[in-house]
Amino acid sequence: MSNAADMINLLESKFGDRIQIKQGTLEAGAIIANNGLHYDVLKAMIEADEKTGITAITGLDLGDKLGVYYHVHTAKPFFTIKAEVPKADPKIKTVVDIHPGALFHELEVTDLLGVVFVGNELQGHFVLSENWPDGVYPLRKDVDATKVQLVPTPEREANKNAEGRQVKIIIGPQHPALLEPEKFSVTVDGEIVTKVEPRIGYVHRGIEKTAESRSYLKDTYLVERVCGICNPIHAYAFVSTVEKILKPAVPERAEYLRVIALELNRLHSHLLTLGHAGLEIGYETLFQYFWRDREPIMDLIELTSGNRVYGSLITVGGVRRDLNPEHIPKIKSVLEDFRKKMPFYRKLYQEEPTLRLRMKDVGVLTREDALKLSVVGPVARGSGVDMDIRKTQPYSAYDEIPFKQIVYTEGDTWARMNVRMDEVEESINIIEYAVDHLPSGPVRVEVPRSVPEGEAVSSVEAPRGELFYYVKSNGTDMPERVKIRTPTFANIPSFLKTAIGESIADVPSNFVSLDPCFSCTDR
Amino acid sequence: MTDTKTWARVKSPWVLHFNSGACNGCDIEIVALLTPKYDVERFGIKLEPSPRHADVLLVTGAVTQQCAERLKRVYDQMPQPKFVVAIGACACSGGVFEGNYNVLGGVDKVLPVSAYIPGCPPRPEAIIDGVVKLLNAINPPKKKKELAEAPKEAPKPEVAPVEEVKQ
Repeated sequence: MSNAADMINLLESKFGDRIQIKQGTLEAGAIIANNGLHYDVLKAMIEADEKTGITAITGLDLGDKLGVYYHVHTAKPFFTIKAEVPKADPKIKTVVDIHPGALFHELEVTDLLGVVFVGNELQGHFVLSENWPDGVYPLRKDVDATKVQLVPTPEREANKNAEGRQVKIIIGPQHPALLEPEKFSVTVDGEIVTKVEPRIGYVHRGIEKTAESRSYLKDTYLVERVCGICNPIHAYAFVSTVEKILKPAVPERAEYLRVIALELNRLHSHLLTLGHAGLEIGYETLFQYFWRDREPIMDLIELTSGNRVYGSLITVGGVRRDLNPEHIPKIKSVLEDFRKKMPFYRKLYQEEPTLRLRMKDVGVLTREDALKLSVVGPVARGSGVDMDIRKTQPYSAYDEIPFKQIVYTEGDTWARMNVRMDEVEESINIIEYAVDHLPSGPVRVEVPRSVPEGEAVSSVEAPRGELFYYVKSNGTDMPERVKIRTPTFANIPSFLKTAIGESIADVPSNFVSLDPCFSCTDR
Repeated sequence: MTDTKTWARVKSPWVLHFNSGACNGCDIEIVALLTPKYDVERFGIKLEPSPRHADVLLVTGAVTQQCAERLKRVYDQMPQPKFVVAIGACACSGGVFEGNYNVLGGVDKVLPVSAYIPGCPPRPEAIIDGVVKLLNAINPPKKKKELAEAPKEAPKPEVAPVEEVKQ
């Protein structure tokens, strides 16, 4: 089923006037389903379309009620199921039993907004720190989160070994295999992993809450700092969501320049990961090679945006600076140089025995599990799920630029890394095409500072997978709510599944193939 | 002996990198330092995974509530003398996250900081410059004049010479 009208007809015939469907709002449609009907609606959608999954769950403070919005993706159209619960007794039925991928999303809403999902209750904290008091929820409007009285950190439990022969190994928060702080308690029986318990939230900075108290202009810079690796795509996702409410006429040249910025970013991010994978499996030469060849790309990013990392090129209404025509030959020559090196790297990843031994048949994620867990990006495409948002829901100038969607069916670490390897080449093609076909004209239009009342969602393809933004505006120059669902947050549940039954030595190799980025995960 | 120790430390400082809630921007620039273009290992600077072997702690990020205690613990595990370098605007003062509910805003709220390297993120060259300045502060390089005046013979070693063993 790839048609929005079919889905709406099906739901109308099944539920009649018990639900309200507002067609056209929030992409394909918003479905208002209260009194526990959200569960039945989602179940009907999953039965009708195997690609149905939960992209994100947004929790909102609506005064005396709390809103729980399930953003649901199907094969193509995008729906939002809206449910409301009273603030005094915020209980709602969990959907984890019909869609396991919702687990983390529900826990996050519980921790930050205090909605209790019956059947999936949270013990302790999920993203908030251990010294955060119970019963205080930062995303509620009546809570001044900066003045919360913190409680003493509870005594840490001694590292009790699990029962019998099983041993618990703690990876993190400060660990050589992790560049960032996050904790994974891995239980092993001999060398075989039997259980993985994550504790995220070490990098939780509260960006969603802070975005509510800053203007849209400042928020563009704030959301870029969700992730230092894939920053332009965060700016783009936020900006495109705001533009869906504001509806400015963004010049075509600006869209092409945005695509160039996004693809240069994807190029450097993929090279970073392909090299980092070498480091994790103990193949440091590979790491040094990839990072050596990544530096010219960083120079290109600096050339086009003005800075190595945070160029802040993309802004509401266009881009902040034009491409200097004198720089085009330089861009082309760097890309051409890199293209010449591609056969060498491709051969390494395809045939090198060391890499094959460490990556082939490690962390196998089947297509069914990938759909059930709603994984995104190269992880999904490595398992045979053809979901590249640039193809399925084209945004910016991607509908005019030819490129291939890369899908591997093996589902192991090797397949996921090779998806990235092939996408590097596609990115080079896209940039070259965009530079050659750059339209002329202005690069920016004036936009008002205040945004009229409304709400919009935007889902784009970041280097790590589908990135989702939800913005609700209230007519002022500051947003009412900004929800960010990052691709890494959606991909972590797949690691919890695939690590089980494998050797502890394969944990780094498996984990790095998800392209982990905890600053994205925690926000 | 002190001179020898200082010499060894300045010529080969082992650094430990700790992310206290950074966005990965600074962290990736630190890793980029190790790679062929910048290659800080030629200065003897080595990234060390264990706090127990490290001389310098490179901290990035605005220090989240959850990380603060862990950061102190990592610092306590390092042997004396130890130095802390705050890398990036967040580590210096909180940066863009200043005032967020889960962020302390700056490494100096938790630890004594020896050097601040601002920037969002600082360029790899800036990080090298900051670390070199710190090393120069620990062991000021002799000026040209001092070098000219210095006696040409090698200074006598402080350690008493080992007596030859008669066979």
